[in-house]
Amino acid sequence: MLPRIASARSRSRTGAIRAAVACLLVVAAMRVNPLSAAAPTGVSFRQEIRQVLARGGCNAGPCHGNANGKGGFKLSLRGEDPASDLRAIARELGGRRINPFEPSDSLVLLKATAALAHEGGQRFSTNSWEYRSLHDWIAAGAPDDGALRPSPVRLEVSPSETVLFSPTNETRVRATIVFADGSRRDVTDRAVYDPVSTSVKTSPDGRIERMQDGESVVIVRYLDLQEPVRVAFVPAQPGFVWRAPKPANFIDAQLQRKLRSRRQLPSGPIFDEVFLRRLHLDLLGIPPSAEEARAFVADKHRNKRTRAIDAALERPEFADFWALKWSDLLRVEERTLDRKGMTVFHRWIRDGIATNRPLNVMAREIVSARGSTYSHPPANFHRANRTPVDRALAISQVFLGTRLNCAQCHNHPFDRWSQDDYHDWAAVFGRIQTKVLRNDRRDDNDSHEFSGEQIVYVAARGSVANPRTGKPAVPRFLGETAPVSTDASEGPDELDGVGKWLTSHPQFGRVQVNRIWFHLFGRGLVDPIDDFRATNPASHPELLEALAADFVKHGHDLRRTLRLLLQSNAYQQSSEPHATAADDEVNVSHNIVRRLTAEQLLDSQARALGAVTQAKGWPAGTRAAQVAGGAPQKEGRKSPADRFLETFGKPPRLLTCECERSDATTLSQALQLLSGPVVNELITRKDNRLARWSAPDQPAAAAVEDLYWSILTRAPSAAERQRFVGLLEAAPDRRPVLEDIAWALLNSKEFVLRH
Amino acid sequence: MPSSNTSNWVRHVISRRAALRVGGLGLLGLNLPAILRSEDNAGAAMRRIAPKARSVIFLFQWGGPSQLETFDMKPDAPEGIRGLHRPMASNVPGLLVNERLPRMAKVMDKVCLVRSVHHTMKNHNSAAYYALSGHAPPLDDIRLKDSQELFPAYGSFVDRLAPSIDPAIPSFVAFPHVISDGSVTPAQHASFLGKQHDPFLIKQDPNAANFALPELSLPAGIDPARLSARREMMALVDQQSHLLDHAAAARGLDAHYGKAMALLNSEKLRNAFQIANEPEAIRNRYGRTTYGQSCLLARRMVEAGVKYTTVYFDQSIGGQNTENGGWDTHGFNNTRMFPIIEGRHLPLLDQTLPTLLTDLDERGLLDSTLVLWMGEFGRTPKINGNISRDHWPDCYTVLMAGGGVKRGFAFGASDKHAAYPVENMVRPDDIAATVYHLLGIDPATEVRGQGNRPVAISGGRVIHEIIA
Repeated sequence: MLPRIASARSRSRTGAIRAAVACLLVVAAMRVNPLSAAAPTGVSFRQEIRQVLARGGCNAGPCHGNANGKGGFKLSLRGEDPASDLRAIARELGGRRINPFEPSDSLVLLKATAALAHEGGQRFSTNSWEYRSLHDWIAAGAPDDGALRPSPVRLEVSPSETVLFSPTNETRVRATIVFADGSRRDVTDRAVYDPVSTSVKTSPDGRIERMQDGESVVIVRYLDLQEPVRVAFVPAQPGFVWRAPKPANFIDAQLQRKLRSRRQLPSGPIFDEVFLRRLHLDLLGIPPSAEEARAFVADKHRNKRTRAIDAALERPEFADFWALKWSDLLRVEERTLDRKGMTVFHRWIRDGIATNRPLNVMAREIVSARGSTYSHPPANFHRANRTPVDRALAISQVFLGTRLNCAQCHNHPFDRWSQDDYHDWAAVFGRIQTKVLRNDRRDDNDSHEFSGEQIVYVAARGSVANPRTGKPAVPRFLGETAPVSTDASEGPDELDGVGKWLTSHPQFGRVQVNRIWFHLFGRGLVDPIDDFRATNPASHPELLEALAADFVKHGHDLRRTLRLLLQSNAYQQSSEPHATAADDEVNVSHNIVRRLTAEQLLDSQARALGAVTQAKGWPAGTRAAQVAGGAPQKEGRKSPADRFLETFGKPPRLLTCECERSDATTLSQALQLLSGPVVNELITRKDNRLARWSAPDQPAAAAVEDLYWSILTRAPSAAERQRFVGLLEAAPDRRPVLEDIAWALLNSKEFVLRH
Repeated sequence: MPSSNTSNWVRHVISRRAALRVGGLGLLGLNLPAILRSEDNAGAAMRRIAPKARSVIFLFQWGGPSQLETFDMKPDAPEGIRGLHRPMASNVPGLLVNERLPRMAKVMDKVCLVRSVHHTMKNHNSAAYYALSGHAPPLDDIRLKDSQELFPAYGSFVDRLAPSIDPAIPSFVAFPHVISDGSVTPAQHASFLGKQHDPFLIKQDPNAANFALPELSLPAGIDPARLSARREMMALVDQQSHLLDHAAAARGLDAHYGKAMALLNSEKLRNAFQIANEPEAIRNRYGRTTYGQSCLLARRMVEAGVKYTTVYFDQSIGGQNTENGGWDTHGFNNTRMFPIIEGRHLPLLDQTLPTLLTDLDERGLLDSTLVLWMGEFGRTPKINGNISRDHWPDCYTVLMAGGGVKRGFAFGASDKHAAYPVENMVRPDDIAATVYHLLGIDPATEVRGQGNRPVAISGGRVIHEIIA
């Protein structure tokens, strides 16, 4: 008989600790002589029964794996805590859930087969292997098998990627586990199959059925192992003929390979007008002026698009607009950093982009920064993220594309991170302290507000408690096995170490190029862009690797990667999909239409009407993209421009996540544009672009022409010209008509959306 | 499984788990297929319950009113606990109220008191988040920050799951403040449900002579005819680009324009905000204060068909003067609670709540409108060194009226010092579940939370005992 690792009614903490100790003793005993314990016979709780519970979905989040359980019965999420699951099934309620004498009368079996009313319905039938295993295990007295059986070390799925053409409506995957000694076992009928979208349906025997055409991922799980299977169901498209422009670079070659395999055609190239508008909005945050646009269209030079890209990358607005993206991520905001800290940090970021400082150097300077938040600007990162956990989460999310939050409370359900990984990683930042030299906060109740210089330093000691063990966590870089030395008696300490480790991590380059891709294409190759994990594979894994390799090889150069992307046909293709790709969202068959961001929209409106935004607290002539901080939170401090930006999703910068910036379209946005004060003020200002065309002797056609080029970067169509010129010529006072036309253009989809 | 056998165990696990819950995430699990189901089906798959309330008016008493100076007086307690005020009989035998609430005493037959509400959050923002969302916050600390991980306001779930019938009428309206204590108090907006479920928020003072909504007013010189003409011009431009044909983003934006135009053109909505059209006598009955006129405006929202109206008592927790601020009367800075609530809070309460309840009742609206009056916590039974009271979440009283709850009824009871519940303990979760239930929304309805978690809109128990 195996040692009982937890007594029947012991639910106390000490009981749990004793159980853990007992468990360790068992492991220790095994190490000495594996044959000393009786070879396990019968059904394994930790491997087979756990998998039965997973197959039935019993320990899933919405069911008994919920934090509060369901119907009074609680299992650990996805079986991460077998000891507590064993207690729940076999020991709680005085063992009422099982009946070793009449196993088939066991509550767990009656419920799971719906012989007794069960909110979750029938999970398996009485003639399934799940039923037999559970039954036999109960009959054997519901024993625990500790760590006596070897666990599989790898899960293999085959095929891991498959493209199927109609009328093929289903496919099958095989799942195999591999043990440390190399032995293998087919577990196709024992694995769990979770589709990540409703476009496919899975069966417990590994079948994947098409619900609708498109790309999909199915996650195959076996115990703690999980592997993705990528499936694409593609319409047959009889008579499909592949047609695509010659690839401009390796990006197109990679994208086209996938499109071709899916029988989807890429969209055609865009006109010069659309290209220049897109380029300027993406790099500078504002549309080209009428003069720039007309000159570009008239330019007959063969390489004019490449030259336009190069020119835009050198403009000061480029540094402003891309510093804004980084400032969002690095939480550049006034309340925590104070006005001076915010300003110097923002300027430091902008300078880095303007002078093309390699992104690995910038990242290292940020992560390893210490010293005064006034005289050493990147130190503000550790001021903004004030606890070891905040720092650990921020750094892994921003630079490694890893979201760890789940692992704070339980092992990450979709990733490999355990609670220990989480706390050990946080412990790397356990000694970092900020000395608050003074705090002149204005609001005594606001503990987030700091005003005054701070010094970031590495203290002599400091630790992070691991709540699972109750002991200080051991500082360890994320995903590494060896702990980090915190002996800084000489040479670099762990803060230097983490910067070096981070920027040479293979994930670093991938995350950077994926983020750049996201900003140009509207969707990351890995999406969401900070959620890299095996179970969230990239849409184009090889392309991502190639881009990352190029980026690392050429000195982590932002502009180089931007050029590569901007010069591709993929960037320069239309947003109107080809009929074969109408439903495509991930294969980059066409450009994604999206709303301008808050700053893009406000700055574009002002630029198009030849006026500057006047906002409280902004130096005269400032564009929204140049504002150092996040959206103000105190109602009293918000100007109409602040409210406009907030309505369109400018983040307060409380998170190190792009997701904080909302790209949603809302009713309030429509109201802002329809009748809001900011747009109205711009249109009615007497010194805007309309003033010039208000006089009755000005040619109406030229006025309409100028407004179209300034606002929409194109000439009016015949219908538009006729209508608006007619309206102007018929009007006794032109100003109101010009305002109406400007309003219509600023509210058009073409203006509000980047296309 | 019979719940009577398991309840102890459940309670044990819940409390143990609650103790372990840290960070914004709790221990909710997730499972992809179920997530997708809930996303696709939320609303559609909701279990149907016959609604008893068509609308809710939530009068949030920011700062934390004292149970001992309002609806749970303890005249027999020692002086250091019972305080300086005497109770008086109300029109419901056995229900005593503070003698400084004489008008309240005349309408107690319309209300239902829950005297056993309790939780453990001692900080304003944490406790207010609990009150405004019905979900326990991940931490009881002044550092609790508004974030997308936290639950939305009740009204946002209402907008998502049971919106107003008339598309021109918002489901969720909130005024006249955004409350904060240091940082903005969470659960005043839609959070992870998405901005489209944010409240229609009015920060103008309905007591101001020129009260008007810029959102619903057209700029000077733009009449509805000119706006329509502009919109036609815009349509001509939109036809050229074909974006509406192939881009979902364009169609989504256009749908919002349609709705915005409906709002701008809705006489009903505009009229509802024309508080100046209300007879002078009625305006005076509510009191010419920001809060008083807000209560009146809430009634006008109900008449227009708004489902969920939140009125915030004040922008700040206050408690240190009689001019402004909420109920947070600690006696800080050499102030004293009793003169402050005598001068401000109790008269304001006694003028507004009885007026609103009577007004709704006379218009035949009280039976279909749930009025919810509550703060984030109560106040300490023991009077402190400043002859004032501090925060006390362990036991306080919530007042409900109309919308299908019993009239002239008290549920739950506190001990002899109003310090702890002695029967029928109620958590803010249960209040939330009851509100949803009365609106015909199953509190167990699951939606997708941050990080695609399936989350029930409420984890509370419907208090069937108070439903008529």
